[in-house]
Amino acid sequence: MCEAPSHFYILQNNEPTIQAMTPALSISHLRKVYARGTVAVDDLSLDIAAGDFFGLLGPNGAGKSTTIHCITGISTVTSGEIRIFGVDAVKNYREARRRIGLSPQEFNVDTFATCRQILDWMGGYFGMERAERKRRAEMLIEKFDLVPHATKQFRELSGGLKRRVVLARALIHDPDLLILDEPTAGVDVELRMDLWRYLQELNHDGKTILLTSHYLEEIERLCRTIAIVNKGKIVQHGPKNEFFTEPGGLEEAYLRATGATPERIAAAAGR
Amino acid sequence: MGASINWVGLLTIIRREMTRLLRVPIQAFVAPWISALLFIFIFGYVVGGRISQIGGHSYLEFVLPGIVMLNVVNAAFLQSSSQVYFARFMRYVEETLVSPLSYVEMISGVLVTVVFRSVVTALGILVIAALFGASSVAGVGEFVFWVVGVAIVFGLLGNLVGLWANNFEQLTILNVFFITPLSFVGGVFNTIDMLPSWLQWMAWANPFFYFINGLRHSMIGFTEAPELLGIGVTIGLGAVMFVIVWRLYAIGYGLRE
Repeated sequence: MCEAPSHFYILQNNEPTIQAMTPALSISHLRKVYARGTVAVDDLSLDIAAGDFFGLLGPNGAGKSTTIHCITGISTVTSGEIRIFGVDAVKNYREARRRIGLSPQEFNVDTFATCRQILDWMGGYFGMERAERKRRAEMLIEKFDLVPHATKQFRELSGGLKRRVVLARALIHDPDLLILDEPTAGVDVELRMDLWRYLQELNHDGKTILLTSHYLEEIERLCRTIAIVNKGKIVQHGPKNEFFTEPGGLEEAYLRATGATPERIAAAAGR
Repeated sequence: MGASINWVGLLTIIRREMTRLLRVPIQAFVAPWISALLFIFIFGYVVGGRISQIGGHSYLEFVLPGIVMLNVVNAAFLQSSSQVYFARFMRYVEETLVSPLSYVEMISGVLVTVVFRSVVTALGILVIAALFGASSVAGVGEFVFWVVGVAIVFGLLGNLVGLWANNFEQLTILNVFFITPLSFVGGVFNTIDMLPSWLQWMAWANPFFYFINGLRHSMIGFTEAPELLGIGVTIGLGAVMFVIVWRLYAIGYGLRE
């Protein structure tokens, strides 16, 4: 396991192996300072291999969402470099963004729009022609069991259905890199299982996935590579199996990396 | 950055905003038409019936361009400021921020809806005025220039305010304290020489005077200022506003965290 990574992992025979090739996502010395002086991300470097299922773990306020916002253009970058499949995400942002799909933590949707409109508009922003938008939208509406809700306004939907719409929206343009910021927050167990299955399918089909979550079980089950973020820095990073070579597994590693007290770590170990 | 225009993306922004606009037809179109009807009836027809002609035109014909311009300015400013502010407030602006749209495409998408709303508002007022026998348009091209040009200027100003405002109160400040007062003293109801001499210089420094005067010339041929000066002021303001708004988009002001 390493700190301040300068390399990334790629699957070979279903095992992550250190490789040097164009990563799906490469973040180098990223720093984000908000207007009031809060340092949200501090010299964060990270590479994610094409085809990886990468988990970003960290407590609230660790800098996970800010990192994602910097990658996708929702936040400006104070300093550092972000590359999407080798393309500079700031200088060549149009080219870089074509390859990213984002499912954000908070719903950023015109709540008066219908599910179908939300998908159609998003496909349009990405320059998809009408027939292609319609085909992809209908496929995703079916895939996410949204058929009975396709003409309902977003505000009329339950939390779980809203989450599905936002996830479908992230996939409308068939991105190569899918970024999911706590996609199963507020979702019931059944839907969570369905989403997990679908995400595994997508990853199996070649999509690179960056997932943030508070659920250790989710990260443990889905991801092949894991990074733990605390106070804007990556404090631990490596293939999932490396987290399980130490006693206590991912949970203890997480607690240690995020500065939990020895009593708390001991309590977790005793469970 | 790819230099090609994302036409589908631009058309999608326009479609989205048209959908949003047409959800509130009473607020967007019927309200200004009723307001214009009242202005035309009271000031043009009732009061105007007791006022002698101005420059060979009835008072109703004289005030009508001002009434049209007041409503064009309001329509443009309200459309763009609320469009941009609500997209920020409800956070769906992030949909466009994460997509491969250029800043020019984002701004143009706003402006097309602004121009549509302004033109429909203006045409509706002309229809209402026709019922009172006053809706002549002497120069159609010139009329279109003034309606579209002024709509773009105030669409850009509204865009700027939509980026700046952090609450609904701030969204209305410019309209209440600057746009409405300046437009009323810009010659809607009177000629410059009707003003006290100490106030006349202020009219020449007021861009609304050029907008109203230009539209009035396009409709009834009456003018108090050189045409080219007004056209220059409008194009100059539009260009300056566009550069400011484009720059604000580029640095992410009000849009990006």
